[in-house]
Amino acid sequence: MGWHYGLNINTPVIFPRNNRDNMIKGINISKSFGNKKVLNKVNIKIKQGEAVVVMGPSGSGKTTLLRSLALLDKPDSGKVVVDDKEFVFPNDSDFKKPYPKVTVVYQQLFLWPHLTNRENITLAVENTDYATQLDELIDYLGMGKFIDNYPNQSSVGQKQRVAIARALILNPKYIFFDEITSALDEKQVNNIIKIIDDLKRKNIGIFFITHHNHVAEKIGDSIIHMNETE
Amino acid sequence: MSILEIIIQYREGFAQGLLVTLELCLIIWLSGLVIGGLLGWLSSRYKLYFDAPIRLIAFTLSGIPVLVFLFWLHYPLQSLLQIQINPFITATLTLSIINIFSVSDIVRNGIKDIPKQFIETADVCGISHKKRFWKIELPLIFRHAISPFIIVQVNMLHMTLFASLISVDEIFRVAQRVNSIIYKPVEIYTALGIFFLMISLPLNGLALWFKHKYARDFSEK
Repeated sequence: MGWHYGLNINTPVIFPRNNRDNMIKGINISKSFGNKKVLNKVNIKIKQGEAVVVMGPSGSGKTTLLRSLALLDKPDSGKVVVDDKEFVFPNDSDFKKPYPKVTVVYQQLFLWPHLTNRENITLAVENTDYATQLDELIDYLGMGKFIDNYPNQSSVGQKQRVAIARALILNPKYIFFDEITSALDEKQVNNIIKIIDDLKRKNIGIFFITHHNHVAEKIGDSIIHMNETE
Repeated sequence: MSILEIIIQYREGFAQGLLVTLELCLIIWLSGLVIGGLLGWLSSRYKLYFDAPIRLIAFTLSGIPVLVFLFWLHYPLQSLLQIQINPFITATLTLSIINIFSVSDIVRNGIKDIPKQFIETADVCGISHKKRFWKIELPLIFRHAISPFIIVQVNMLHMTLFASLISVDEIFRVAQRVNSIIYKPVEIYTALGIFFLMISLPLNGLALWFKHKYARDFSEK
């Protein structure tokens, strides 16, 4: 399946919306840091093709929730279900995490600085025939001018697109975005909104943390407001 | 007698001394790279068993002057154990130990200073541990460690001079011998200085170049 989303082209493309019952579920997720209970029996669903937007003040546990659902950190208790696979906590043993089916785009992006943008995107790809998909992503995200630059030679907006391409080339089913709009100008934010909209149409489940109300309203199928924790 | 004439006249002695110095250096540098690199990696990976002892030894060694350590291994220790070891081996062992723990420190810090999010990002991209090590961790450690590593190796080259004090016939001892015959200290030690500059300056320049080239690498933490 190609990546003809139409950020640079105007023709809309219809994407299959199969497997709509697949989802990531967080069931009774709790997480504390010392005496501070950051998450208290949180229940959440992220369906494929839909975007769950999470808002709230700093320290309200947004990133903790992301990290728990994306299985980057183990919750103290609760259950994370990724499609048909269950991860029950507390769980002391190491378990095989569902990456890159589930993947994360961080606020700070964390592009590997010793690799070019192109190498950053393709490093994780195991099959060798990714050229067409890469070309489509370069075209779609408008990365032609800086694809062979190093991250430190690229602007924040450009690096953001590289980080998104790095996630997309892995054909994930769910992508977690951690405040990626916070350092962007209005035009760049609008581009992100369009990208997220395209990803939803490609049947990718989105978990999106943002401070921008208008972003939440435009992309969110459901919006969760988190309050400051005790 | 000019510097050149002295070098030509005593070329065999100088060549022999140079060879011993380079031999010393090669062993010290290689042991530092291989064993020090390994200890640094073990120290960062298995904190419980390796980190504390290695750091303790490195810390203790950093407080002992090289000459004291060398003399201690050469005289009291051999006397205590009632053995006699070739001074070349003693010098090599002493300087290798110092280099090994210096390099292990550099490597451990290099590993520690890689932002863990670079590793986490590799994980969420589904990159295998093996690929992650070769393609991400090792290049980042290299960039972080190469400059201090080279500077330490240049210092080790300079420290080989101490070997002359326990009768190792390296280049400094040869220079002293020649000087005792012809008494031309200005010419002889100038030649020695130029020799060390010829090796040290390019290496120091290389270290600076790496430092400048890679300093920006962690700016995206």
